[in-house]
Amino acid sequence: MFAEDYQTTDFGDEGPRGPGEERMQKSLFEKYGGFSVVSKIVLDLYDRLLDDDDVGPFFDEIDMARIVDHQTKFVSSLMGGPASYSDEQIRRMHAHLEIHQLHFDKLQSLLRATLADHGVAPGDQEAILAAFEARRALVTG
Amino acid sequence: MTIAAINEQLLRAIGVGVALLDLETLRLRFCNDTFRGWFGEMEVGSNLLEQFGDLDVEALRAALTSEGRYATESTFRLRRRTMTVAMDFNRALDEDEPIAVLVCQNISRIKELESMIDSYSAMVERNTREIKREKEQVEKLLLNMMPRSVYEEYKTFGIVTPRLYDPVSVVCIDFIGFAEMVTEHEPAVIVSELNDIYTAFDRIGEQFGCARIRAVGDLYIGVAGLPDPTEDHAQAAANAAIRFMRYLHQRNASHPIQWSCRVGIASGPVVGSVVGVQKYIYDVFGPAVIYASRLRYMAEPMTITGNGAVVAALDNQFSATEAGTLALSGESEEPVFRISAEQMRAGQEL
Repeated sequence: MFAEDYQTTDFGDEGPRGPGEERMQKSLFEKYGGFSVVSKIVLDLYDRLLDDDDVGPFFDEIDMARIVDHQTKFVSSLMGGPASYSDEQIRRMHAHLEIHQLHFDKLQSLLRATLADHGVAPGDQEAILAAFEARRALVTG
Repeated sequence: MTIAAINEQLLRAIGVGVALLDLETLRLRFCNDTFRGWFGEMEVGSNLLEQFGDLDVEALRAALTSEGRYATESTFRLRRRTMTVAMDFNRALDEDEPIAVLVCQNISRIKELESMIDSYSAMVERNTREIKREKEQVEKLLLNMMPRSVYEEYKTFGIVTPRLYDPVSVVCIDFIGFAEMVTEHEPAVIVSELNDIYTAFDRIGEQFGCARIRAVGDLYIGVAGLPDPTEDHAQAAANAAIRFMRYLHQRNASHPIQWSCRVGIASGPVVGSVVGVQKYIYDVFGPAVIYASRLRYMAEPMTITGNGAVVAALDNQFSATEAGTLALSGESEEPVFRISAEQMRAGQEL
C-alpha cells in the first residue's frame, strides 16, 4: 500500500558509487597484461641497467634480490601496479647515493628504450616517463 | 673435419659450460668457451678449488665414488651481475684415467625471476591486506546503516528487496526545548551531549532488541521486530523506552545540562528498504513510524505514550492508563495510553 513507489534498489555490478564517480580507468600495468608482461620489462631493464657503465656502478655492491625487488617496485609503481611510494620514501631511499642529472637522464633513456622494445605505445611511454621525470628532484643532488 | 673435431667444436660453442677435471687432483683438463666466459681466470691445469672455494670436496668425492654424480650450485659475480650456475659432476674415464665431467647451466635468470616473484607477491599480499582492511571499514559503515541480513542480501545479490514487516514496534523520542538548547550552548557541547545520549540509547537498544534506524537532530527512532520477526517486539520497545528515560534521569542528576524527552511507541506495519541509488540509505517507514511519531506529541515530559496495539501486546511488567484519544489513521479517534513500568513505580517516578 505504501511501497508502490519504492522499486527494488539496484546497485549494479560495481556496488554503490558516489555521485559523478566514473568507472575506474585501467592502469597501464593492467593494460599491458599485468605482471606477466611487466615482469619481462623489469628483467630487461635490469639487464640494461647492469650493463650500463653510468648507472650500473650504483648496483655494484647490491645483492641481486634487492636490485630485482627495487626494479619490480620501480616499474610497477610507474605503471600504476601494486606498488606506490610517497615522495618522502623515494627521497629517503636515494639520499645516500650521489645521483647526478646524467645518471637520471641515462636511466630515463634506458627506460624509454625498454618500454619501446616491449611494445608500449608512444603516448603511454610518455605518461610513464613523465611519472619518472616528476621524481627527478627527489633523487638528484 | 673428423667427427672428433666436430664434437670438440660443438662442445666449445654450446651455451652450457663444460669442463673436464682430473678426478684425483680436481685440476682442469679442458673447458669450453662458455665455461671460460664465466670463470675466465681458470686456466687449464689450475685447481677447481681456486675458483670454487666453498665447494664441499668431501661430498663431491664421496658422491662421485658411490653414485658417480654430484650436483650443486654456485653463485658468483660476473662484472656486476650475480650469476648462479647449476653444477653437475659426472664420473667418466679418459683413456683409463678417472675424470669428472662438469656441466654448468646458467640458472641466473631463474633466480632473478624467483626474486621478482617474491617481490611481487609481497606487494600483492600487502595490497590484499590493505583491501581487506578497507573492506572491513566499508562493511562496518554499511552495518551501521542497515541490519546485517539486509547487508548480506545486498552483498550476495547486489540488490535489496523492499520488505513489509508486520507487526513491529517503533519507539520515537525527541527532546523538549531542543531548539532553545541549541542556541543556548556551544554547538560542540550539544553534539557531544547528543553523542553521549545516543551512544547510550544504541547500547540499550542493542540489549533489548530495539535497534536505532534513524537519528536526525533530536529525533531518535528505534524499531523492534525487524529484520527478524519477534513475538515480543512490543515488550522490547517498551523496555528500551523505559531504560532510555531511566538513563536520562540518572544522567541529569550528575550533568549540568538537563535533558527531558517525550516518547511515542506504536505497533503496526513498516516497510524496510534501501532508498536511493547513489545517496542510498536503509530506511524504515510506514504506519508504525508515523503513529509513534504522532504519539510522542501526546506524551508529557519524560513519559511514554503508546497506541492500543502496543498496549495489547505488553505483559504485566508494564501498566497502561488511558490518556485521551488521537486520530492516528484516518478520521476516527482512537484511545492512546500512557505506559509505565510496574516494578519501577515504587522506587522511581517515571
